[in-house]
Amino acid sequence: MLVLTRKLNQSIIINGEIEVVVLEVRGEQVRLGIKAPKDVPVHRKEIFDQIQDENRAASEVDPGDIPE
Amino acid sequence: MSTQTVSTIRFGVIEYTPEDVIRVMGGILGFPSYEQYLILQHKEGSPFRWLQSLDEPSLAFLVVDPSHFLSDYAPEMELRHALDLQLTEETARLVYTIVTIPRGKPEEMTLNLAGPIVINAESGVAKQVVLDDPAYSIKFEVNRAPQPTEAAA
Repeated sequence: MLVLTRKLNQSIIINGEIEVVVLEVRGEQVRLGIKAPKDVPVHRKEIFDQIQDENRAASEVDPGDIPE
Repeated sequence: MSTQTVSTIRFGVIEYTPEDVIRVMGGILGFPSYEQYLILQHKEGSPFRWLQSLDEPSLAFLVVDPSHFLSDYAPEMELRHALDLQLTEETARLVYTIVTIPRGKPEEMTLNLAGPIVINAESGVAKQVVLDDPAYSIKFEVNRAPQPTEAAA
């Protein structure tokens, strides 16, 4: 993993087109601003993890439990 | 079109033709190795379908058209997903949500509204789309009164 140190209002550029800027640092919370083209999806990682967990649970559904 | 067969754990041997195959780009999240699925009717007259993996006999997901339970589910997709699926305004599409039923507890059935499977009905290309919006629950309880919105995260 690449590790960079940034200060408030400094940013990084990814692939020449995505900018991530540090907007605010308050205790354990960091607010980031992300400027990316519209066709680039940006998500919190938790949502991916939660959907993966839910998919795993769904893959174990017993056909006998399906309502008529 | 030539008929082929596949053995499955839940449904035995199934006949299909190549045009029946749905290709889920990148797979279902958590199952990236499996991209090819068939859509099987659960029972005649049932709103439920199965997405059965062609590559893994034991892998199948119960899905349902969410409009069977929700009248107002019309998530807005990111442009990226529409481009991947080559969807235009006119393209026929199918939207399914994955159903989870805890073993032996059908009354606790939930729909994953945050990760619908969107299928380009013309090409058979599909994708599990991630909706990063707290309005769409990962565990929508169908046996509860509809809760239009949840508190934002």
